[in-house]
Amino acid sequence: MNIGIRNPVVKLIFYAILIVWGVSVLYPLLWTLLDALKNNEQFFFNAPWSLPKFPLLWENFSYVWQKYNFNTYFFNSIVVTAGSTFLGLLLSATTAYVLARYKFRGSNSLYLLYISSMMIPFVLALIPLFFLMNSMHLINTKLGLIVVYASSVLAFGIFVLVGFFKSLPKELEEAAIVDGASYYGTFFKVMLPLSQPGLITIAIINVLNIWNEYIVGTILVNDPSQYTLPVEIGIMQAEMQYRTEWGPLFAALFFTIVPVLILYIFFQRQIASGITAGAVK
Amino acid sequence: MNSGTAKWQRNVFIASFILPTLVFFGIFTIYPVVQGLYYSFFEWSGMSEHKTFIGFDNFKDMFHDPIIWRAIGNDYFLVAGKVVGIMVIATFFAVALTRFGFKMAGFFRSIFFIPNVISVVVIGVLWNFIYNPQIGFLNAFLSLFTKDQVTIAWLGFTSHTIWMLLPPAIWAGIGFYMILLIAAIQSIPASYYEAANLEGAGQWKQFRNITIPLVWEQIKVSVLNIMMTTLNGSFVIVWIMTQGGPDNSTQVMGSYLYQMAFRQYHFGYGASIGFVILVLSLITTIVLQRLMRHETVEMS
Repeated sequence: MNIGIRNPVVKLIFYAILIVWGVSVLYPLLWTLLDALKNNEQFFFNAPWSLPKFPLLWENFSYVWQKYNFNTYFFNSIVVTAGSTFLGLLLSATTAYVLARYKFRGSNSLYLLYISSMMIPFVLALIPLFFLMNSMHLINTKLGLIVVYASSVLAFGIFVLVGFFKSLPKELEEAAIVDGASYYGTFFKVMLPLSQPGLITIAIINVLNIWNEYIVGTILVNDPSQYTLPVEIGIMQAEMQYRTEWGPLFAALFFTIVPVLILYIFFQRQIASGITAGAVK
Repeated sequence: MNSGTAKWQRNVFIASFILPTLVFFGIFTIYPVVQGLYYSFFEWSGMSEHKTFIGFDNFKDMFHDPIIWRAIGNDYFLVAGKVVGIMVIATFFAVALTRFGFKMAGFFRSIFFIPNVISVVVIGVLWNFIYNPQIGFLNAFLSLFTKDQVTIAWLGFTSHTIWMLLPPAIWAGIGFYMILLIAAIQSIPASYYEAANLEGAGQWKQFRNITIPLVWEQIKVSVLNIMMTTLNGSFVIVWIMTQGGPDNSTQVMGSYLYQMAFRQYHFGYGASIGFVILVLSLITTIVLQRLMRHETVEMS
């Protein structure tokens, strides 16, 4: 089949554009690592693109980890992300399964309620959320972040999983029921394992979003021992006005980027399919 | 009797799978959203239980608040800039990586998505370094061509600083929409392109007459999504890079809401900004859908 660009000059230009953009996305990652190994002097007297001088300041990483308490923030981010992803998945999978397989009074309106909530700008909820969490004593707690994040990912999860459950053949459930499995047994032992690809896709997308989330984290947490990584990055960079520690700042960025980057490398395909599934509204 | 228990069991099962989610969603999403609308009719410092009902006064105040108008303007500037910038570049990449037969298309596709997995906070900090007047990338680069050291404060202009926030926003958004469009293009039957090739239609003609009409649905979704996420979330990049400054010139509705509520304790006024964001995003959705529906009819 004849696809492709015939004109070699045009082809070369297009290649150049792709390469330039490729550099623009890869270079910041490299730059983050290199700048994390510099001291302030090198920031002020050398060009930003110059390589770090020897000896490389690997201690910037341990400095940020211990002195800036990134060990705590990293731990907080992991607990919050894991907790809310799991809770969100459980709550959306159960509802999605029932909505996909059972008709009952109001089932359509319930589905519409979840779907249309995706159209509501979440900023609208920020102020009441702060007071709600305050009255529930969930301000400055990881649990508070977990429930809010879990709730914020429900609609997306339900939307994708309803489609997913509908695509699974009904015969499997019927066979399970004939074999004497209960409703719960059918769901947990048959349907849930079968829907693993869908669950993983949603879990990955949610992990990325929650790990990176900033606004809710900033509003619901002002106790430093409960900060997540993005919240601390925001604060750290604001502090740079009177406390210049550029190297450690880049080391901090590095700690925030690396986990999602690793996740992306392993789950590229799932992420792509999650995007496509979520967008077919 | 037996069928009665069966029905009962079925209902219990449905309820046990529906209700926990619904209650949870009701408490942590629906209730706050409704409260947000409700608060916008009050004057409230947040510190006491005492709220004063003031009807539409918050909204009336907005008419005389120059900052809110600038924030709305900035929001729509970002929406327009991002829609054009992201859609043009993402469409180009999506077509280039599927239709042009480039080697390493898969590699480019993978790396182009990287900015989308990185937190906007991190992206804001990185771009602050590009723009930094003393140690920034941009000034250092420009200094290569000038005799004196360039020390432009890219984020400190008294006007038009909002322009500086457009490149990071576009850069960070491309990958997502590119993936979306790639999937759409790949689902177009190859026979369409083969037929076009036989008739001697070049790449441009194929793009105009096959690709665009057949991925129009995804283009529409993308435009709407860019609009929604911008009105809803441009706050983060603004807050990290300029905090709405200098002199409120880069304020967007989200950042102004945050500042009014959580910095200046005008929670009622903040809530009414949230109300405006909701109304504007609904209106814009309807308008955009109208505009783009017209296009489809023309194409087919």
